[in-house]
Amino acid sequence: MRLNIIIGGKAGQGINKVSQIVSNVLVGYGYFTFNYRDYQSLIRGGHNFNTLSISDVQIESHEARADILIALDERTIKTHRQALKKNGLIITADEFKNEGRNINISLAGALIKIFGIPLVELEKEIKSQFKEFDKAIISAKKGYDSQKIIHQLKKLNNKPSILSGSQAIAIGAKNSGLDLYIAYPMTPATNAMNELAKDQVENKLMVFQAENEIAAANMALGASFAGAKTMTGTSGGGFDLMGETFSLQGISEIPLTVYLASRPGPGTGVPTYTAQSDLNVALRAGHGEFPRVVVAPGNPTETIEKTSEALYLAEKFRTLSIILSDKHLAESEFSSVESSNKTPKFKIIRKIPGKNLVKNSSYETDKFGNSTESYRLTTENANRRLAKYATLKDFIKDKFEMIKIHGNEKSKNLIVGWGSTSGVIKDVIKDLDAKFLQVLYMKPLSNRIKKELQEADNVILVECNLTGQLGRLIREKTGIKIENRLLKYNGRPFHTDELKNLIEGMI
Amino acid sequence: MKPNLNTKSENTWCPGCPNHMILESVKQTIVKLIQSGKHKQTDFAITTDIGCHAKIFDYLNLSGINCLHGRAIPTAIGIKMGNPNLKVLTFAGDGAVYAEGISHFIHAFKYNADMTLILHDNQSFSLTTGQPTPTSQRGYISKSAPLGVFDKPMNPIKLALASNATFIARTNARDVPHMVETFTKAIAHKGFSFVEVIQDCLIFNPDANNKDKQMYKIKTNTNKKIAEKLADEFDYNSKRGKISLGIIYQSKEPTPEKKWPQLSELLRSKKLWRDK
Repeated sequence: MRLNIIIGGKAGQGINKVSQIVSNVLVGYGYFTFNYRDYQSLIRGGHNFNTLSISDVQIESHEARADILIALDERTIKTHRQALKKNGLIITADEFKNEGRNINISLAGALIKIFGIPLVELEKEIKSQFKEFDKAIISAKKGYDSQKIIHQLKKLNNKPSILSGSQAIAIGAKNSGLDLYIAYPMTPATNAMNELAKDQVENKLMVFQAENEIAAANMALGASFAGAKTMTGTSGGGFDLMGETFSLQGISEIPLTVYLASRPGPGTGVPTYTAQSDLNVALRAGHGEFPRVVVAPGNPTETIEKTSEALYLAEKFRTLSIILSDKHLAESEFSSVESSNKTPKFKIIRKIPGKNLVKNSSYETDKFGNSTESYRLTTENANRRLAKYATLKDFIKDKFEMIKIHGNEKSKNLIVGWGSTSGVIKDVIKDLDAKFLQVLYMKPLSNRIKKELQEADNVILVECNLTGQLGRLIREKTGIKIENRLLKYNGRPFHTDELKNLIEGMI
Repeated sequence: MKPNLNTKSENTWCPGCPNHMILESVKQTIVKLIQSGKHKQTDFAITTDIGCHAKIFDYLNLSGINCLHGRAIPTAIGIKMGNPNLKVLTFAGDGAVYAEGISHFIHAFKYNADMTLILHDNQSFSLTTGQPTPTSQRGYISKSAPLGVFDKPMNPIKLALASNATFIARTNARDVPHMVETFTKAIAHKGFSFVEVIQDCLIFNPDANNKDKQMYKIKTNTNKKIAEKLADEFDYNSKRGKISLGIIYQSKEPTPEKKWPQLSELLRSKKLWRDK
């Protein structure tokens, strides 16, 4: 069972409230939701929409075609009418214009009735959300009474919870006992910062906004040196500015974890949309040669796990850990019954100032931490960095999930993908003869990938970027070129129906 | 017992460079602070920038980070956030702070972390063989600027005042007792203390050297109007004009280590983040 609802309107009209209320009620009723947010870089006006996808099984994607269109303005109808399925339904805000600020609650009420969910479920949700709920309940009932039941949903026993990728970053960080998050605002990384900032004092951590990303990265490194568990976060442009500090991390070996939430570039690109085009920069930012970890979760559960792993590895190996996400993962709202793996806990036991004399440097150093220009030490230090990477790779191979195989394991049709595109691939292959190789660790890259590629007859690469960056990485590491590529780079993620058509044509 | 601040590193500053005297003054200041029983040697954390001044990192047996160019201030602020119980000192040059890292200089005054910036101002980028910095005098000729500097130099004291600095001092790299006195006061100040050390570069910018005759010592000033006048007396350009030494301006403002509940708790309990 799958239903798809597009909810559109101007920024500030409250489309998120509609999808939030409806999602919460549906999840409480045992259904799985996935909410995609399509919004422009403006505060009031324009055209924003959410696509809320509903299913009785776990989903991590949305469809292009809609069963219901909720229009808070005229433009929504014009823009999305052609996406409406045959016999699809349009509900407009005009029907509830007397409800004033509560129009979105009436619209949520209308949807709940269409799904045949008892009014009391909606009332419960409204009471939990609003302090003064009397008027809201009247508006909800108006909406509810205006519709007939169209898709009768039975109550199910699932108990999913809703989480965005940004919330998951914060949960993972808190699970690992993060002390400091130091960043500069940049969409779509900022929501993770907001999440951590919310209850920072209660959670015994601190969120600090620096004057720019260069300051943020260097402050984070300083704080880490002093013995705090530290993280910074940004998007592509800010990540570029941090590049030199990553290089400093490489030589000083002060642990540093970075959250990179990418969006379409180059330059300012399309700032509130999505892309997987920063894998290359995540792998290579920073001059010189030094080890790093790049990990790319595909959904909030994996984000919680991989954030903790990144923090753990940064400290254990005194390395740079990069958590690579994007707008689609950071800002979409997933529902899931999965629980995340046990957090790899750690305590900072290295030498720290205040307790010891400890010197770290941007220069090549001797055993005291002082600068050296010795050819012998230059070679030795470089060799040590290389050896550290080898140890790190072995450790990750033993300890953490570097790839995942989804779908029919015996299939000779192999889809290869990563990050936020994983969700839609998983949903698409449910009905197909295909298996999906999801790459989670980009650096180090799993040795199993080569074997999987060699065993498949038909390999298809799916990525949201122009050049197939994972494909190129795999080719670099395995020598295997994946010829079949489905690449999307218009700032929008793949839709389930769209990708299914494309893959069906290739297998 | 006298704490040992020496290291095994070979000193590679030019013979006669005033950096030797700055190093001596820093050592005397810190030895006194340790001997007074107020601080342990391990309580100090330093950051250094890139340039001649930064070699001080190798010559001081203190914890710290030898940072990237322009970034010694934010790195130090991070250290202070990572452990507000540390005594944090930043050493940086005029190129590092007034050019590459100027944004951090301004924001450091706004944030007012309880730490000290010791700025070695020799009015040139010396380790890269003498290019002009923002405080180089007009007409300064170098290999990269053979036509000479066309602009008037920046006045960092005025910029610090405009940025709501709570402690601005100036001292002379040829005057060890005055440096020790000034550094001690700067470290004692609650907030971001900025000390500009007027320093000669014997190799690359001799035209800017020998300003001792212009210098005079002042008493600690807490009046902003007077501070502005003192800042105006020396424009980093002319051979005339008086150069005031001492605390040009000091005021009281709460520090972030007191304002942020998370940091003030660590300060109060003398705890580390990991023991929170």
